[in-house]
Amino acid sequence: MSDQNKDRKDVKRDELWRSVDEYNAGGVTDETQYHEFAPGVKEEFDVDKELSGISRRKFLALMSASAAFMAAGCSDYRDKGELMPYNRKPDDITIGEANFYASTYMGCGHACGVLIKTREGRPIKVDGNPDHPVNAGKVCAKGQASVMDLYDPQRFSEPQTVNQGEYTPAKWQDVDGKVIAQLTLGGEGSAVFISHKVHSPTAIKLMGELQEKYKSVRFIYYDLFAAENRTNAWKKCYGEDSVPAVIKWDEADVILALEASLFGTDGNSIEQHRMIRDRRDVNNTKKFNRLYSAEANFTTTGANADYRIRIKPEHYYDFVLTLMNEVSKRGKGKGVIPESLSGKLSAFTVDAFSKKAQLSEKGRKSLNALIGDLVSNGSKSIVYAGEAVPEDVQVLVHLLNEVTGGSALYSDTVANVELHKYSTSKEIAGLVADMKAGKVSLLVNMDANPVYHFPKELGFEEALKKVKLVVSMALLPNETSYSSNFVLPLNHDFESWGDAKIRSNFTSTMQPVIAPLYNTRQKEAILLQWLSGKTDGYKDTNYLDYLKAAWKENYKGNNFNKFWAGSLHDGVSMITDAKVVAPKFTLKDVPTENPLKPGKTAVILAESYALGDGRHANNGWLQELPHTISKVTWDNYAAISEKTSKDLGAKTDSLIEVSLNGKKVTLPVLVQPGVADDTVIVELGYGRTKCPVVALEVGQDVSVFQKTMNEKVFTTATIAVAEGSYTLASTQDHYTYDKSIVNTDDAHLKRHIIQEGTLAQFIANPKFLKGEKPSSVSLYPNHEYPGVKWGMTIDLNKCTGCGNCSVACSIENNVPVVGKDQVIKGREMQWMRIDRYYSGTPEDPDASVQPMLCQHCDNAPCENVCPVAATQHSIDGLNQMVYNRCVGTRYCSNNCPYKVRRFNFFDFRDHFANGYYYEEPVNLANNPEVTVRPRGVMEKCTFCVHRIEEARSKALAEGRPLKGSDVKTACQEACPADAISFGDLNDKQSDFNLFHEHDLAYTVLEELNIKANVRYIARLQNTTAEEV
Amino acid sequence: MSNFIDYLLRIRLPIVVFVALVSFVFTFYASKAERDSVGYSPDQPIAFSHKLHAGTMQIDCQYCHTGVEKTRFATIPTAGVCMNCHTQARTDRPEIIKLTEYYKSGKPIPWKRIHETAQYAYFNHSVHVSRGIDCASCHGDVANMEKISQVNPFNMSDCLDCHRNPEKKLPYLKNVNKGPQHCWACHR
Repeated sequence: MSDQNKDRKDVKRDELWRSVDEYNAGGVTDETQYHEFAPGVKEEFDVDKELSGISRRKFLALMSASAAFMAAGCSDYRDKGELMPYNRKPDDITIGEANFYASTYMGCGHACGVLIKTREGRPIKVDGNPDHPVNAGKVCAKGQASVMDLYDPQRFSEPQTVNQGEYTPAKWQDVDGKVIAQLTLGGEGSAVFISHKVHSPTAIKLMGELQEKYKSVRFIYYDLFAAENRTNAWKKCYGEDSVPAVIKWDEADVILALEASLFGTDGNSIEQHRMIRDRRDVNNTKKFNRLYSAEANFTTTGANADYRIRIKPEHYYDFVLTLMNEVSKRGKGKGVIPESLSGKLSAFTVDAFSKKAQLSEKGRKSLNALIGDLVSNGSKSIVYAGEAVPEDVQVLVHLLNEVTGGSALYSDTVANVELHKYSTSKEIAGLVADMKAGKVSLLVNMDANPVYHFPKELGFEEALKKVKLVVSMALLPNETSYSSNFVLPLNHDFESWGDAKIRSNFTSTMQPVIAPLYNTRQKEAILLQWLSGKTDGYKDTNYLDYLKAAWKENYKGNNFNKFWAGSLHDGVSMITDAKVVAPKFTLKDVPTENPLKPGKTAVILAESYALGDGRHANNGWLQELPHTISKVTWDNYAAISEKTSKDLGAKTDSLIEVSLNGKKVTLPVLVQPGVADDTVIVELGYGRTKCPVVALEVGQDVSVFQKTMNEKVFTTATIAVAEGSYTLASTQDHYTYDKSIVNTDDAHLKRHIIQEGTLAQFIANPKFLKGEKPSSVSLYPNHEYPGVKWGMTIDLNKCTGCGNCSVACSIENNVPVVGKDQVIKGREMQWMRIDRYYSGTPEDPDASVQPMLCQHCDNAPCENVCPVAATQHSIDGLNQMVYNRCVGTRYCSNNCPYKVRRFNFFDFRDHFANGYYYEEPVNLANNPEVTVRPRGVMEKCTFCVHRIEEARSKALAEGRPLKGSDVKTACQEACPADAISFGDLNDKQSDFNLFHEHDLAYTVLEELNIKANVRYIARLQNTTAEEV
Repeated sequence: MSNFIDYLLRIRLPIVVFVALVSFVFTFYASKAERDSVGYSPDQPIAFSHKLHAGTMQIDCQYCHTGVEKTRFATIPTAGVCMNCHTQARTDRPEIIKLTEYYKSGKPIPWKRIHETAQYAYFNHSVHVSRGIDCASCHGDVANMEKISQVNPFNMSDCLDCHRNPEKKLPYLKNVNKGPQHCWACHR
């Protein structure tokens, strides 16, 4: 053990821990585990202040007055209000029944197909469209939470005139008139339209027509996270017109993610979840793939990798060349490596790299295993480099795939579609220069946010002042709308028409599921209006007509209306595109220099899984989704390794100042196990300043470090401790318990909370997990379950801990947002949380994730202690919570060993941000089948009992018995890896039940004999055979 | 002094307790119907007669209450449903003129609500109807009501009465099962 670990308790290899502090203290983090309440929770509650101080006399007076009123009111029947039927009912609505509409979600670069659930005409839930070939029925957390954006109370409801951030209502005609005048007058290139990626071929056509009519128009396309390094490298390797190939992940036996979060932010995580995790089926162990991760950050991919190699950013280059050298030495890729490189290659050996990168023993072993696998699996292996990896290294990665033969996994049936190229950094810099020179007279921001996203060094915000007319199309106030002259309010995706083409062989459609809530228009309709050159004649259907006409042009058949209706219904329209041209590696002049010079400290600017580039920041559900690894909510932070923190003298919640490119940002520290030494990982998308209250000043904006948007990694930073401290709202140490009760140090392990093994172990002895059963004696008689009995199985081989289930659950069950101050006190309300445990050392940890929800125990400890019988056992095996009986003693929560019960300490909708989520029309987002809980009651996972009851009534109406497969819970529907299965435990021969009884299935805390009905399938690490 | 206490305890206290008890019991029973809304029959915006439509003309309940077999809600008919007939029938009557005005204005008719279960109870019409339970078992003999009113209390105890002893309450049903009695059958 090295010097810095001297004071550490000798921690066993398999022991689980949750934070570096816990690891160092040998298990005891702080006093909290001995107490029911988080520190400071009781002390700061001042009865006099928090509750109104009514005197006894006043109380009696009020009581008698209200009694008198009551008596007076008794004289007649209680008025029950009115029932309002429709005047004329829309044909497709059955009151009380949900309608589902297929559409497309455009909230990021992937345009996934969605299925929107509406009740009585209002969207309440979003799931993936099962017919969509890419996301196949699943959608990410952002897509799930987009319902809240639709109902955001701060949405622009009409056009605005903006003066220094003061918004005053304006008229569409006036703004349209001004823009059209400017478009007509302006010289070439004087009207600039700035947009994020456009997925819609019809919108591109429209934009082309606009450009044709007004010669002044030019378009700038940008995205903060566009995988530009990868794409640009691809174009270098395979030709300017080539588009990065679609990867057949499901055929890959060996996958190496280089600083890539395949289950988070790189590529289409939904598709990757499905295709990669599908290969981890414990009933088909022959097909197990092996996942390697080499990274400085600690991502979900690293956490779920079979081997993880911790490397610093400056070693990406050496790492790739080492792989290339070792692989080619063993006879791979003859004649593929250009001569300019092959001469230099021999210096890059495993030994040299291990020494240079100071790889641990574990890292070195992993590297050897990786090389072996790349050699033996050649054409079944793929290497993928993530957003941060510089372009030159990306080129080498593409080359490496050619060398190993991994390029065989590039799909030959479907190709990615590029409707337009992104503007280069040069073009963007040129634009700002033009603006400064007064050459730009009209700037239209098409739902992007360049003031916030463009490198601050360019001075875009300053340059805006030189532009005569700045118009922002926006849903919510943002930094760019603040500096504009006018704001044109946009429709939400759910109020808009459109189409999207991201891959060959299909086009997806987007249709509105609700009429615009306000006086808003969709982007394309605004452009169409400008194209017409007139300010009147706007109709909501203008763009629909245009869209249909554009589709009709390409339609070859003879019944367009039927085809159109079918496309809208399915959300996708399958067509046959041109054959995929196999990419041919043509680059001779590969980079032979490391693009990242070693420096003092490296900085990686990462993407936040929840917030993306910051455009989702005003969504409370996403802000409160704990970070997949660190479990921090409501903030970004500097994640540094333990060694770096010790060198600095900083610990979690200290402040450090990061200096880079002449800019300084002060950030709170989070000591993150597994992060490379001397490396700071910070997420972008935070620190919004001119936006509604949810996002306002949450975290720090670190984009100031960037000179160009594709630059995400730096090696020349310096860090120093800053004054003061800052509390991060991390849930990682929540729900710790007093280990002295269990009288053991390695409690997690002895209590079998996480059970794991290796694939080889399982194949050698399938029952290796099944140790001796703990004795089970119960004082209570067993419940009887004559009909169905509900249970859940969560496959930890598939789960990556992405948190989509958590968001889906919150939306389905009207779970409130509580805010950062309440998360710090441990009062987050999510019914489903993802527990994350580390094992090993903080330098090279393994991580295990485990979704934790109410386990619906047969012998539920909560039920016995409720003094008012508010929690009870049902005949179908559910642990019921009855809100109207609950008086809030919280005994049940105290007695719950899983800590899955949540208490409404406040009416959180009212408490959060001055009642932000009580404002109209947020209430429309509520699921009408689930009670909105008031203050003072306990709540928890219900196994989506409203869905069970709905399925039951359907079965009854059809006169058949209810089957386990009739019900899908919200988390199950949302899980992109299909890790969650739900069904009837009494149906012994069902697939579900057989899986529930699998050799690898275990219940957490089995020794308590509470007979949980949620089981976990132990994770199998697919390590190489030599290691067993 | 002791006489006074004696008087208080022997005479005064029993009288007070007696009066309180009697008045409580009296009020409890006298006001029960009102508390349970039994007999509640407010004036409706249009004086619709169930007796005429469901009784004399024998129109099936489901002609208007279309959701009752499909969903939780029986649903109140839209003005459009009324107008299926009343574009032709009795267009000169004052109530029908009112109806036509509502229909033409596009506004919903603000019917007064009669039957209501507690808001945290999710009563499901379709389940009950598909089991063959007659509407009248809960809603009374609507076909003979000139003006609609509530006849049965809709409290949890009343639900449970039937769920526990369906054969007694619903004698016309053969081979009837007991209804579910667990909390989440109705509350969630």
